[in-house]
Amino acid sequence: MRQLALVLAAATALGAMPAWAQDDTDTANVAVNGNVAPLCILGPPSPATVDLGQMVATSGSRIGRIAPLSNQTVSLPGSFCNFAGSAIDVDVTALVATDSSTLQPGFARAVNYTASVENWAATAASATSAATTDGSDPTETGTGATQPLPKIADLSVTLSGFSVPSDLLLVAGNYQGAVVVTLGPAATGGNE
Amino acid sequence: MMFKATPLFAPLFAVAAAALAATPALAQSTSDTSEFAVIGNVPALCSGGTISGANATFDLGVLVNTSTGLLRPDLSAPSKVITGSFCSARSTINVDADAMAAQTFTATPPAGFSRTVHYVATASGWTVTPASFDTAQAVNSAATQSRDTAFTGDITVALSNFTTAGGNALRLVADPSYLGTVTVTLAAAE
Repeated sequence: MRQLALVLAAATALGAMPAWAQDDTDTANVAVNGNVAPLCILGPPSPATVDLGQMVATSGSRIGRIAPLSNQTVSLPGSFCNFAGSAIDVDVTALVATDSSTLQPGFARAVNYTASVENWAATAASATSAATTDGSDPTETGTGATQPLPKIADLSVTLSGFSVPSDLLLVAGNYQGAVVVTLGPAATGGNE
Repeated sequence: MMFKATPLFAPLFAVAAAALAATPALAQSTSDTSEFAVIGNVPALCSGGTISGANATFDLGVLVNTSTGLLRPDLSAPSKVITGSFCSARSTINVDADAMAAQTFTATPPAGFSRTVHYVATASGWTVTPASFDTAQAVNSAATQSRDTAFTGDITVALSNFTTAGGNALRLVADPSYLGTVTVTLAAAE
């Protein structure tokens, strides 16, 4: 209510101005102001879930141990920042078995991997998880180089180097991990 | 009049500036975060491993006391160790055995003789209670044992308690080969 009263007071003052002018012509500048907030938007990940399927060898000398898993790629199309000086931050969480029983000697319940976010700046944002055999401490973080210009691009996240701590046998079950990509001001490592 | 109006503008700008400063907090965050899941699975899997040593045969040698023709009471054979076995989930171990039987003399033996030797086979190391199978028994409830966790380790298979089918007073018929089999099975339990 107080603000409204102030605005009305100002309008009254402006309205009174022409009465003070002496010339035939008068010029007044009216400023038009706007602003654009600094903004970064990531495209929806495609695919939304990376399913590695069955991860161990089921025959041969490596039976029960991790099989060679091919690299996986997730696209974040049309990602952009509308300001200079942005960077990507990536959090990688190892795949860990949902099974929570006491881990037995000779077994692991974690699969580590590297996630690398490319096509933003000179160097990719990359991190490699380093979970222990029982799946503790599963998350690692990495930050890429600073992008000096506003940019729009299709980001590409590559998952590679799937491995098991000490190459032990893997406990049966469903495994879940995650990758979190953050795009934001470089000064804060991609996080606002 | 104008001099009085001027002080009014100052608070007006102050209000506007305060409004602008507050705007970023209301608008969308400068950074954006996207998360996607990475999933996979490992099937329940068991592998039998390999039997240590040169061969997988329990060689008991001569079964009888050559003075009496009766089964030797001191029959024994070194245990066999199965290495490299594992199950990636809960599992059961089962031991099954067939009595040793004369391979050439396959007819019904005459009175006072037997062509079959019973024994107990045990598989230990996998479960708290070893799985055991007595070929002389019709029912072997201890033949299957289970454990609740994944496991990898050695399994020791041993034979004991040799007895003559029909009673130890019977004599064994001569035969170049008495043969039985022991089968150890690991199975993942869902």
